[in-house]
Amino acid sequence: MSYAKTYIVPYLKKYYKVMGVTVLMGTLALLSAAMLSFVSGYLITRTSQRPETILLVYVPIVAVRTFGISRAVFRYVERLIGHNAVLKVLADMRVKLYHALEPQALFIRERFTTGDLLGALADDIEHLQDVYIRTVFPTLIGLFVLLFAVGGVAAVSVPFALVLFFLLSIIAFVYPLWSLYRLKKYQTAAKQQHSALYRDFTDAIFGVQDWLISGRKKVFTDRFITQAQASDQAESKLDYWHQDRAFQLQVITGVIVIIVGLWAGLTAQSGAILPTYIAAFTLAAMPIVEGIIPISHAVERIPVYEESLKRIDGIHSQNTAPEKPAVTPNGTAIQFTNVSYRYPSSDTDAVQDVSLTIAPGEKIAILGKSGAGKSTLMQLLLGNLAPTAGQVTIGDTPAAQIGEAIYDIASVLNQKPYLFATTVENNIRLGRQDATTATIEDVIARVGLQDYIATLPKQLKTQMEETGQRFSGGERQRIALARILVKDTPIVILDEPTVGLDPITERELMEDMLRSLEGKTVIWITHHLTAIEQMDRVLFMDDGQIAMLGTHETLMQTNERYQRLYRLDHGY
Amino acid sequence: MDKNLLQYDGSKRVLAIVGVLTVAQTIAIITQALFLAKAITQMFHGASFTDVSVSFALFFLAHVIRHTLQWAKERVSYRFAERTAHAFREQLVEQIFELGPQAVGQHGSGNLITLTLEGIPKFRKYLELFIPRVTAMAVIPAVVVLFIFTKDILSGVILVVVLPVLILFLILIGIVSKRRIDDQMETYRLLSRHFVDSLRGLVTLKYLGRSKSHEKAIDTVSNKYRIATNRALRYAFLSSFALDFFASLSVAIVAVELGFRLINGTVGLEMALAVLVLAPEYFTPVRELGNDFHATVDGQDAGNEIRAILATPVAKSESAIPAVTAQTTLALQDVSVEGDDRNILSHINLTLTGPIKVGIVGSSGAGKSTLIQALAGFVNTSGTITLDKVQATLTQDAWRRQISYIPQHPTIFSASVQENIRFYAPQATDEAVRQAAQQVGLLALIEQFPQGFNEPIGQGGRVLSGGEEQRIALARTLLQQQPILLFDEPTAHLDIETEHEIKTIIEPMLDDKIVFFATHRLHWMQTMDYIVVLDQGQIVEQGTHDELLAKNGAYVALRNAQRGVSA
Repeated sequence: MSYAKTYIVPYLKKYYKVMGVTVLMGTLALLSAAMLSFVSGYLITRTSQRPETILLVYVPIVAVRTFGISRAVFRYVERLIGHNAVLKVLADMRVKLYHALEPQALFIRERFTTGDLLGALADDIEHLQDVYIRTVFPTLIGLFVLLFAVGGVAAVSVPFALVLFFLLSIIAFVYPLWSLYRLKKYQTAAKQQHSALYRDFTDAIFGVQDWLISGRKKVFTDRFITQAQASDQAESKLDYWHQDRAFQLQVITGVIVIIVGLWAGLTAQSGAILPTYIAAFTLAAMPIVEGIIPISHAVERIPVYEESLKRIDGIHSQNTAPEKPAVTPNGTAIQFTNVSYRYPSSDTDAVQDVSLTIAPGEKIAILGKSGAGKSTLMQLLLGNLAPTAGQVTIGDTPAAQIGEAIYDIASVLNQKPYLFATTVENNIRLGRQDATTATIEDVIARVGLQDYIATLPKQLKTQMEETGQRFSGGERQRIALARILVKDTPIVILDEPTVGLDPITERELMEDMLRSLEGKTVIWITHHLTAIEQMDRVLFMDDGQIAMLGTHETLMQTNERYQRLYRLDHGY
Repeated sequence: MDKNLLQYDGSKRVLAIVGVLTVAQTIAIITQALFLAKAITQMFHGASFTDVSVSFALFFLAHVIRHTLQWAKERVSYRFAERTAHAFREQLVEQIFELGPQAVGQHGSGNLITLTLEGIPKFRKYLELFIPRVTAMAVIPAVVVLFIFTKDILSGVILVVVLPVLILFLILIGIVSKRRIDDQMETYRLLSRHFVDSLRGLVTLKYLGRSKSHEKAIDTVSNKYRIATNRALRYAFLSSFALDFFASLSVAIVAVELGFRLINGTVGLEMALAVLVLAPEYFTPVRELGNDFHATVDGQDAGNEIRAILATPVAKSESAIPAVTAQTTLALQDVSVEGDDRNILSHINLTLTGPIKVGIVGSSGAGKSTLIQALAGFVNTSGTITLDKVQATLTQDAWRRQISYIPQHPTIFSASVQENIRFYAPQATDEAVRQAAQQVGLLALIEQFPQGFNEPIGQGGRVLSGGEEQRIALARTLLQQQPILLFDEPTAHLDIETEHEIKTIIEPMLDDKIVFFATHRLHWMQTMDYIVVLDQGQIVEQGTHDELLAKNGAYVALRNAQRGVSA
């Protein structure tokens, strides 16, 4: 419930007008249905008294026709306005989530290890429209209908209004709260079992080869089927409860109709109302109750939203560092002085006492096993991590103080640069918005994509997605490289850009990359030694420390380990 | 009407039961209306409390019977739907395993997962809803309107006329809105993907220094999306508008008509009230069907998709697979694997006698992986494969159980370290698992884990690096001790030092086995006894390392291309 305060209530407040209109329309739609019954009941009993002239029932006739039409109209308007309001909320929530997520972007992968968190978050926001459409609106509408019904009866008889309130409360409050209480544990169980099924089945699909080889696929299928059936059982408990509840509520509805009918009959006998209203009240009872019944379904859904809200809350609750003022450094020389860094959760240094100078225009390769500290080194350089000891400077400015301005002087090409679902041109233009078409064509040529782009149906205007798999790994990297060339920063960091490419593509891509980056400082984190000869210096990291540093030629002559790795990479 | 519906086990019986219950229910509906009308009329005429009570009691009885029958219909359909969905799921899961990795690739792993875990419940929902809804649709309006005809012909006529008009409208609205929605589908899809696209690309935006300014774009696009959605919804909601509109309008018309004739005295009050109460019941089945329309369509689609997968023929081979040893002679004669538009492997001829280490090389897309997959019995092949001169089909368990297969990205199951290592050999002792872990250089790491060998890994567990995952796969293989080992590019994604370490672990494992080793990384070839060079699905060269060097052909060209030396 605490999530509701943070993520639901503020939007209800912000959009109270349009939400209020939605609830009003919904209430009017239900009341139209009730009034249609009420007035038709009246009309028929009144006409059975055979009034002198049709003019005496003129008003009810018009009212019947009006209510006959208005229900559908109100309902239609309610749905349109309601969805519009909710989509406004979702737009706000997207911005808010993005705002919270943006500062932690680089470390999100380390904090959340499971699956496609970002995809899940996007889905979560979508799911939250149900909070309004399926919970908030139906509940409020039901309650208003209840109020109207009780108020209407109170005009005739206050005591019976209280009786009616009591009866309708069973449907409006007792059943919803009971459902909520009762179903919560089944819902949680069903959800947990379902996610366990997901996990195991995903494993099995990706490991189908392993199951086949193990010769134990029967073991898996049997286990999975049993597990799935257990999950279904939890779900069928929910569904059975829904069916039982629907039945019980209908029986209660029947009782209410009878009680209202008898009350109307007795009141007419006592002369408090005309007998012509007996049918009106009795027939209106059923549509009123039917407007209140959906509250049960609306309220029991509350636990379903919790997981989505929890995940979103997990992002929002990360206190992010306050915005740093951007300081543009006065040079591009990079200096690491006795730099150490230790992650808060760790008890060893990820980078330990590293000193290194990278001159403007120098090309340096950084190698090392995973966990050796290469990525940490890069984040220290970008100022995303502040050293626990020592200092990283670019020009004379400590990297950690540069803030967002770092991206004006340094670009990063990572292992899997993301290409957005837009045109090739727009993807490249992300590097610099005001790039001319000539510039873009120029970089396309420099990254060696000219011929390929020419074969595409709409050339630069081709959607990345339309071609789907048509862009190979190498081509995608080239597009990403073009984006960086358009950006034209003095420092370029290449973070394992060739993982997953075959050796020939790898070599060609690296040669093209290094050629097109001529004159810039290039820091290339790599897993292979392909094209390493073209670098000015090679640095090996080992357990956070510099294990080797020198030119390719020197290392080849003096370092046995380097020779061995170089030979390995070249197929000897 | 879905013609498959009648073919499920027990569906005819369920349809019959639900049909009978629906007829009974319709009678209850009419009775209920009659006694409600009677009670009201009695009260109107000031009848005695007892008389009124009897009418109300009978109304209540009919009401309870009606909803008891409704409950029974739902329960019966639910049970049937659940039973059928269970059977479907079981068949589907078995079929997926029967068809193997090739089918998984073809249908897409994500798609199969969604189909099994989301599609089956949708299919169940469809069965559960469709039978009672369609039966109600077929029975209730007809019986109700027939009854009304016997009491008041004009009301009956009104109701009968409205229904076809309503359906005509629904069809028209369907056509118009579909066209409207299709028109903007493309923009709509791009807009709807924008947010998830932005989140997934956040790191890239950050590195481009554009992540802050992108916030504005999220807002703009979200609102564009909202406007586009609203435009589409205007049409999408029209059909339920039409349902509501015609249903309540015709009730209004019936009420007014009855009113006129009551004034003339041509109908009685009680009958008029009964008709008024019954009129909405006439439309209820159509409206319910309309409300659940999307659920039923989704479920039906899922059902069709599942049925298509189940209908895929499985190549059942009867040929017995001899027990192979490391000395077996394996011969491929004219073996091909079909792709979508061309052969991925064509006319492979290869005869080898173990123990032997065979390297398979070639540029990207040459068919290296497919050859390994064919040898592992994961894909269907044409041509002849013999084992010690006995013809054999490899796509069967008896063969797969005799091989080990190490892919580039081995599957790490969501389980403990030891369960993962033991995957192929569940009966292996703790000592053997420990031994294997030590041999692949994982022991020190595992001992650092808080729970040691019981540490959970895989999804939701500890994340392992690529090199560590490969070590787990090798430990599995060590426990298995098979005569035939198949490697599919096990080290290309690793950093060079890890690759070197893994190589020192793999090399001793290859002795006295039949090994097929597909890779881009040519340094492995020194270890191999025999090298096969593939190009566009065909063998272009084969021989020992020295022979191929001497030949100065495709193999040498490949080496030079990788090293950047022009030949």
